[in-house]
Amino acid sequence: MTQTMDETAHLKPEEVSAYIDGELSSDASEGCLRHLRVCHPCSLRVLTETQVKAATAREGARFAPSAETLARLSATLHGESSESRRSVIVRRPSFVQAAWYAVAASIVLLGVMGAWMQVRRSNAMEAEIVDQHLAMLSGGAAPEVESTDRHTVKPWFQGRLPFSFNLPEAGALPPDTTLRGADLAYVNGQPAAQLIFNIGRHEASVFLTQRAGRVLILAAATRSGFNLRTATAAELRMTAVSDVSPAQLDALVTALEKAQ
Amino acid sequence: MKSSPVNDSFGDLALPLLPVLYRHAVWLCRDPSEAEDLVQEALSKALRGFESFQDGTNFKAWIFRVLRNSFLTSRTGLAMSRTVYLEDHPGLLDSIEDGLTPEDHLIRVNDQAAVHQALEQLQPQLREAVLLCDLEELKYREIADVLDIPIGTVMSRITRGRRALYQLLQLQYRESR
Repeated sequence: MTQTMDETAHLKPEEVSAYIDGELSSDASEGCLRHLRVCHPCSLRVLTETQVKAATAREGARFAPSAETLARLSATLHGESSESRRSVIVRRPSFVQAAWYAVAASIVLLGVMGAWMQVRRSNAMEAEIVDQHLAMLSGGAAPEVESTDRHTVKPWFQGRLPFSFNLPEAGALPPDTTLRGADLAYVNGQPAAQLIFNIGRHEASVFLTQRAGRVLILAAATRSGFNLRTATAAELRMTAVSDVSPAQLDALVTALEKAQ
Repeated sequence: MKSSPVNDSFGDLALPLLPVLYRHAVWLCRDPSEAEDLVQEALSKALRGFESFQDGTNFKAWIFRVLRNSFLTSRTGLAMSRTVYLEDHPGLLDSIEDGLTPEDHLIRVNDQAAVHQALEQLQPQLREAVLLCDLEELKYREIADVLDIPIGTVMSRITRGRRALYQLLQLQYRESR
């Protein structure tokens, strides 16, 4: 959606929604970001609406079909029965037929539920990562530890995380990339280090968690206009999110991988 | 129903979407049994009209449109279409002064029961647009196709829907204090 905006005026309600939903053009989205950096009321609106969006997604997913319902719908889809749900019940198949239907439906059901749950978990994780990054951008608050010095940032996590990690020297980071600071975060209920980098005029968050957790995010994904990258190194899993180009995000992730 | 490449292709695309179709149908019908019938009917119609689906477009948006059109011709859908909602009277949904802190807002959106109650109270047209965006993750253009409305109306419904949710949460919070 191509839109232009007056960066000095407060964001219109539709602009806030379109920004959160990744529906703005990259120029308009950058204009929003510039405004949010200096406007506390608009930042609060973005944060609140982001929270309402996430809460709606969580609560909206509450109506899951029962195993029997899903099996009946799967059977309909595969043409195992061209009759309606009620007529299937009335027909009363023999025990052997019913057993075979049950086995076939269970297999289909497991496949569908497995794929569906994986997609939901992956989507939920991506949403959580993007929400936390967006909250960091929108909040305008300084990170808990604000420093460009890795010897200050890394020790701050001692005793706060059940794992350790290394940070690359400033010279080993990609061009125009600097460490800004870090926060303690939680991703999928696991403690994580949120490292914050400046890449040119953009910001990137890298979430470091223990590798023991399940892989729930694709190696590369895009969500709401933000790029996500996941990589593993040693005992760590790192997930980077930013609105910079995929190549710039890859370069940052690679530098962090090499430091481990 | 004989197996054919068209049927197989349709099945491959539709099978992973059964849970979300059912979920959306429950939100539309507000009755699990009716929702299951609606999904069955939509699947049947979608298979018959599968040739109209264009490769390269979003199958999920396409079949959601079929589901919604099926709903609109159902008894519940026809009853809903005769109801006039506040969306037609924007002034009635103007913002409510709150005086709540950001912490209060966070407490409310993290209260699942409160969010559930607010979603239940939301006008169906606004709720549908918000759910297609926030839950089903369709783009505005795709939501416009599903609902058969202009994209500007989609933006308006989503914005107004979220604001109404927020206001309902505020009201609940005030009443609980």
